[in-house]
This record gives sequence, C-alpha cells and structure tokens, in this order.
Amino acid sequence: MNTQGMQLARGLRDGKGRSEGARGGLPLKDESLDFPTLMAETGAPDPRWCSYFFLYDGSKVKEEGDPTRAGICYFYPKDTPLEQQELLCGQLAGVCRCVSELSCSPVRLLRLRRRKFAICMRGDFLWALGCAVEIPDVSIHGFLEQLIGLFCFYNGPVRQSYQLHSPEELAIQWGLYLSHLQGGATELHHIFSSLRTIDSTRIDPLLLLKAALILQACQRCSLVLAGCILYCGRVVSTQMPPDLTAKVLVNETEANNQDLKHLANGVTSPDSTPLSSSVTSIPVFLTPSELHALRCPPVDWACRSHCLPLQANQTKKSRLLSRTLSDTPAPESEPPSLDSTFRTPNSHQTMPCSTRSSLSDEMCFSPSPSLNAFSHTPLPQHHPGSCDQVLANGTQLTGSQEVWQGQGQDGSILGAPHGENGGISESHEGSHNRGDCYGDSVKEERRHEEDREVANETEPHGANAQSGEEQSHRNNSWNPNNSCKDGSPEDEEEESRNADNRLMRKEQGSHNEEESLSSEGAQKDEAPTCMSSSGASEPTLVAMTLYQHRVRGLVLALLVEPNFQSDAAAMEEVHHSSLASLNGLEAHLRSTTVGTPGPPGGYTFAHYDCLQNTLTTNLSGGAGSPQERSFVRATSLLHSQFSQSVTLQETIVRSAGAAVYGTRSAAQETYFLQQGATVRNSGVPNPQDSAFSLPSKARHRLLKHGVNLL
Amino acid sequence: MASKSSLLKVILLGDGGVGKSSLMNRYVTNKFDTHLFHTIGVEFLNKDLEVDGHLVTMQIWDTAGQERFRSLRTPFYRGSDCCLLTFSVDDNQSFLNLANWKKEFIYYADVKEPESFPFVVLGNKLDVTERQVSTEDAQQWCRENGNYPYFETSAKDATNVAVAFEEAVRRVLAMEDRGDHLIPTDTVNLHRKPRSSATCC
Repeated sequence: MNTQGMQLARGLRDGKGRSEGARGGLPLKDESLDFPTLMAETGAPDPRWCSYFFLYDGSKVKEEGDPTRAGICYFYPKDTPLEQQELLCGQLAGVCRCVSELSCSPVRLLRLRRRKFAICMRGDFLWALGCAVEIPDVSIHGFLEQLIGLFCFYNGPVRQSYQLHSPEELAIQWGLYLSHLQGGATELHHIFSSLRTIDSTRIDPLLLLKAALILQACQRCSLVLAGCILYCGRVVSTQMPPDLTAKVLVNETEANNQDLKHLANGVTSPDSTPLSSSVTSIPVFLTPSELHALRCPPVDWACRSHCLPLQANQTKKSRLLSRTLSDTPAPESEPPSLDSTFRTPNSHQTMPCSTRSSLSDEMCFSPSPSLNAFSHTPLPQHHPGSCDQVLANGTQLTGSQEVWQGQGQDGSILGAPHGENGGISESHEGSHNRGDCYGDSVKEERRHEEDREVANETEPHGANAQSGEEQSHRNNSWNPNNSCKDGSPEDEEEESRNADNRLMRKEQGSHNEEESLSSEGAQKDEAPTCMSSSGASEPTLVAMTLYQHRVRGLVLALLVEPNFQSDAAAMEEVHHSSLASLNGLEAHLRSTTVGTPGPPGGYTFAHYDCLQNTLTTNLSGGAGSPQERSFVRATSLLHSQFSQSVTLQETIVRSAGAAVYGTRSAAQETYFLQQGATVRNSGVPNPQDSAFSLPSKARHRLLKHGVNLL
Repeated sequence: MASKSSLLKVILLGDGGVGKSSLMNRYVTNKFDTHLFHTIGVEFLNKDLEVDGHLVTMQIWDTAGQERFRSLRTPFYRGSDCCLLTFSVDDNQSFLNLANWKKEFIYYADVKEPESFPFVVLGNKLDVTERQVSTEDAQQWCRENGNYPYFETSAKDATNVAVAFEEAVRRVLAMEDRGDHLIPTDTVNLHRKPRSSATCC
C-alpha cells in the first residue's frame, strides 16, 4: 500500500471519511466538493451527470514527497483550483486504493451524501466521474465506460497517449468526449446509455434496407471490416456492435459541426466538393475483442439487429412476464436457449468465481495478458446493466444482493438522499464482478472452440489468443504493458497470477465446451463484456482505420484494415460502389419531413433494447409536462432497480399523480405511463385501482409501436 | 451562360432490370458491375462535361424500376430537365411500358408542356443476342410519341452510352435556348432555371 493509501486509511479510522491528516486538512465531506463556481463553465455538461471528472495516474505519485498534482492527467472542470483538484484526486485515489486492497475487489462506486463517483481503476490509472446521487449507478457507469472507451478508440492506450501527447492536447480530447456524451440526446438516452438512432417510424423501412445494402456492398472489399451509416448524428444502419457504433458517432458529430461551419462560410458546398475532401481516414484503436467480433462476426450479427429470432426470443420470455404483475414465472419456464446460456455454464463457474474472489477480482484488475485471453468476445457490449444483470442470473451470493437492494432502497428508490450517516459508502458491485468473471469464463470456452476452428489459420489474432504476451510482437499492435513496463514487482505478480487464472479457466473451459457449443448462438447474443470490467488494466489495442465518406448530413463510416488507405484500387471500389447510393439515401432522408409527433395517445412509453442498445420512446425531447418528468424520473428509478435486482421482472412505481409500469426481460426493458388515469392510492391498494390495469394497457398500446409484451 | 457551369438534372426511368443503374455507372465511372442489387428509391451521380462549348454538370438520377418502390422515387421527378426513358431490347414488356413511364413522369414531375419536354429513349442491352424489340419498332414508337431521339446502348460494353447522355444535354440546352427567345425578359422563369451548384434538387 502506498503512502496515499495509508493516509486515507488513517483518515477513515479518524471517522467517516474525515481525513484531517490529509493534505490541506479539509474534511472529505461532500459539501466541500460542491464548489458551485466551478460549474459555471459555459456550455458545460449537465452538472447532474458530470460535476467532476478526472484521470489520475497513481504511478506518478509513489513516494511521500511526490506531489499529488503530478498524478492528475485530466481534471474537469478545468478551472478548479489546483489545491482542490489535488484534494479530490488524492482523497478519492487513496480511498479507492485502500478499499480495493482491503476488500480485494475493485471499487466501482463511491457514494457521498449529495454526490457519487463512478470509479474505474485500470492498473495505475484511476478515473472518477462525479454525478448527482439520483443518477442510476448503472447509468453513470455506462457513462464512464463510454468516456474511457472513446478516448482509447481515438487515441490508443492511455499510457501511450500521455507519452506521445501533451496533457493539454489530450485535455481537449477528454473535453470533446465529455461534451459529446452529454450533447443532443435526451435524458432517457443518458439513463440507458443508448445509441441515438434515426426515428425509424418516420422513414420508409425500405430506406433502412437501402442503407444496409450500401454497407454490404462496401464489405465486398475484403479490407472493410464493418460499417455504419449515420445521418445528422444518428444511426441509420450499422454492422458494428452497439458500443463501437457509439464510438464512431463521436467523430461523425464533430466533423459534422465543422462541416456546417465550412458551409456557413461558403468555403465548401457539397455538390461541388471534390470527392477527396468528403472522404477522410483517421487511425483508431480497437480492443482485440472488438476486432474479433468484426473479423469473425458471430452468427449473423448484422442481420440480427432486425431479425426475427431475437424478437421471438423476447416474445417467448415476456409472455410469461406480463400476464399479471404478480405472476412470477418459474425459472424452468425460461426459453431453453436462455436457460442453457446462463444457467448451465454459470453453475459450473460459480465455484471458482465465488471462492477465489480475490483472484477473480485480480482478473478484472489485470494487465493485458488476461484480457488477451478474452480477446474472443464475439459481442462486446458496453452497457453494463443490461448484460451483467442477466448474467448474474440467480447464482449470486444472496448477501451481496441484499447489500445492493439495501442501498437501492436507501437512496434510489425512495429518492431520499442517501447516507444519512454522512459517511462514505462504497459498493463493490459484487454482482458485476461475478458477471464479469462468469463472462470471462464463457469467453474462455468460446476461445477454445475458436482456437480449434482457426487452428490451421495463420490469422494473427488467432495466434494472439494463445498467449497474451505474443501480442507485442505484432507490428500494428500497441502493448502499453511492454513499452511502459517499469518492471514493478506488482505487475509481474499480477501477471503470473493471471497466467494461473488462465490455466484454471482453460480447464474449466474444456469442461464446458459441450454446453458452449450447444448453446452457441444464444450465448453469443447475450455475451457479457469483460471490457466493461472497470478493474481491468489497459487492454492491448490494435490500430485500425476509420474511413468516413460524407454526403452532407449523411456519413458512411467504415472500419477498415490500416492498409486500406494505401490501396487505391480498394478505395476506389468502395467509393464507386457507395457514392450514388449515398447521394440517393441522403436525398431521401433529407426529403423525409421532420414530422409532427403523432397524436398524443394518452400514454408515454420508453422501450429499451438491451442487445442493440437502442431506445424507442414517444416522449419528446423537451422538458415536457410534469407528468413526463415524473415518467423520466420513474424510469430512471426502475432502470436502476432492474439493474440491481436481477430477478425483478415487473414493477409499478407510483406517486400521488402518476403510475409507471416497468417490465423487463433479457432483451428489453419497457416503461409505460398512462396519462390522465385517476390514481387513487391512499391507504391499502384497491383491487379496482387503475394502476393494476397498466400491464394490460401497456401490452395493447405498445403493439403499434412494434413493442410486443404479449 | 456559356461560360458558367450549370446543373442539369437528368432522370432515368424504365422497368426494373433494364439497366438504368448500369448505364449511369458506365457513363460516370466507366465501370460495369454484374452484381448490382435492385436500386431502392433513387440514387444519383454528378458528371461534368462540355457539350458544344457549354460546361455543364449533369446530375444523373437513377430510379428504382420496381413498382413497389414507386412512392419512394416519384417525389424526385420534379425539377428534371430531361427524362431518359429506358427499356431493354431483350424484354418486350419493358418496351411496352415506356408509355406508362412517360405518363408517370409527366404526372409527378408536374411538367407544364409535356409536348415539348425533352425525352430521350434508350434501348439497352444491345450486347444481348436474343432481341425482342426491333430497332424499327422502337424508332416508330419514338416518332409517334413526340419524335424523341432513340439510342441503342449497351452498358456492359459501353456502346453508345456517352453519346446518349450527351444528346440528352443537347436537348436540354436547345430547350433553354428556345425558351430564352420565347420568354419575355421581365418574367422570372422558375421552371427552367439553370441551377447553381449549391443545390442539387
């Protein structure tokens, strides 16, 4: 434990987070963190979602004499006085380090009285994102993971980036991603960390087909891995997993803004622009698992986003859920695919994950080797709640569940300020860890299958999977752990432990091969993400290229092999095969009237697709009526609750003026509010209470929105 | 206007599968792709060329021939300067449908003077050996329907493609010249206005 950890440990002993011994002597109470002036930045992100964000490099602060400021790579808000930056970074880093070492489990959340911090620890790096307590834990984590993911996607490994670029340059990047993640989308989108998609109800479905065909045509060039088509910052069609699509969206939005500026100045006009200027290529960095998902798409991932099996699956499951609110389906009645996916392997894995909790946490903490071992995630998804919660299905330790729900009741559900005791409460998110560990083992199994499949191929990533260390021999791969390793004993120790883990998991994997093969399709659908495990060290990233072709507001974004840029024939082929169609699609989308929202209909709903990470809602983007605001608030509460209680499937939450029904399955979450319904809810619930008719109303009303809860 | 490049909108209409997309691609990119999917809705490419000393940017709009795409394509007829009615010489039905295409175009493009609107007729797939439509029949139809120029083309081997598109430009330019004489100078001609390069439709 380093000095800082010691200091904080002392601080904790001194009493509930007050660390008089710490620098500056200010008590670590959340009140002291509310520097109101700091949030007055113009165009600043919503302080409810991001009051503070920092990246702290613990490797720079090892000795007693090392100033904390040396470890601060980025701090938002940027005009925070340095002493206060140091105070916050030092305290939080110390607490995190202390708690994670004492509990042998990475810290994911620090809850203060009026604020909480999502934490991500990878190696020596620590990220903390402070937000208001009413933001669901799962949402703020989604936000932080997206933020870090974006940085790594465009800049490469964090360590590497800070060696190559000045902190000032990179601060601009962080600021960009922060504002991007908060810009444009509605509160509901933030809550679910969902992709912004084009409103498919207002455009001809044939245009979606057209977009999909353009992408397919591009893929005829073997250097093109996958693509997506965006219109005005919204996804029209994508072949990429949701998390990658979300990353591509950033650059699109930024470029779009710049483009508009150009147009305003009359510098360029789309019709006369020479082709070359509408096409750009920039380097990007993919995790091995992302890359694998693109190179070896599981089943037919591109088609899956609209395909029927998924819906059938969803339908089957929710048929059980929605008969009545009190109808609790027996576990056996789950669809067989889900059953085999979650239960069988999970029960196999429960032992190692729960008994070796310290080791399994190390896996999450671990530097690249262990992550390389997971490099065959077919479908990385970075929206943690939806996936992790499913995985933790039923086999969690009840103890941790109780801790969770206790917290929820305290803070989130009743909406009361949490932590009347005034102290720091921290949660290990046991369920997440277990979910991750379990996910790792699934991936491990899959890796085995795939190893066999690609045994005769010489594909580099196939070889990499054999041993993480081999990664560094690749020309286009970055291995921060090799290039930056200072040979600290900790690292080596971790690595050796991880090697052990790998071996152990290999054994388990071979045991489970049969199950994993039999339930392959479903498994891949629901594959969890190990990349979202915030305890992990930096993964090895692979340099690829993002090709973008812009036609006014329309952008074709393709992830291509790096040598695509030097292959003039390939570029021309892709350009020619897509240009006319992009022109046409743009014309179609532009001529599609922005559309008046349909008649109100007397209800509000939000339907979140966990697999595609998309949101369908009839809620307007604006502030809305008080009832709409209650809907958003209730949705936020219920989403949080769903993410914490994996067995919860249906629920109604209500106030004096409104009742919101929420239901979820493995694939979706749906929220429904009937407007104008008289809610009489004083005293004992009345069987005639209109709130109890919400489930059936939701089923019927939402059918016409393509949401099938039957 | 001779020195300034003007934008001409030329639209390809005809049954599905007669080769409209292939004609456009052959003309603009000089490529022929045997694996083209049905066009959905509309697509377009720009081509700069010089015809009789006039610099023009021809915006070639390719449309979906299938009936089910009708509602997607028809909004884009408006503003066309020339219509290329296309059929396939190995498909008699596509030839018989030319009249319907003409009617559809005139209706949706809201053409004020259908008699004088420049249509050009293309019989594509000249490379195919088994013809169903004779040159004479096609020429006769063109004569009877407004004396339209007729070209037999092959997008596959590039026969007559450039010639046909250039003729389309000539027809438009001729119309404009005539229009300039006929229309009094104190009126604003909204219909035949040469578009600047800043707009595309």
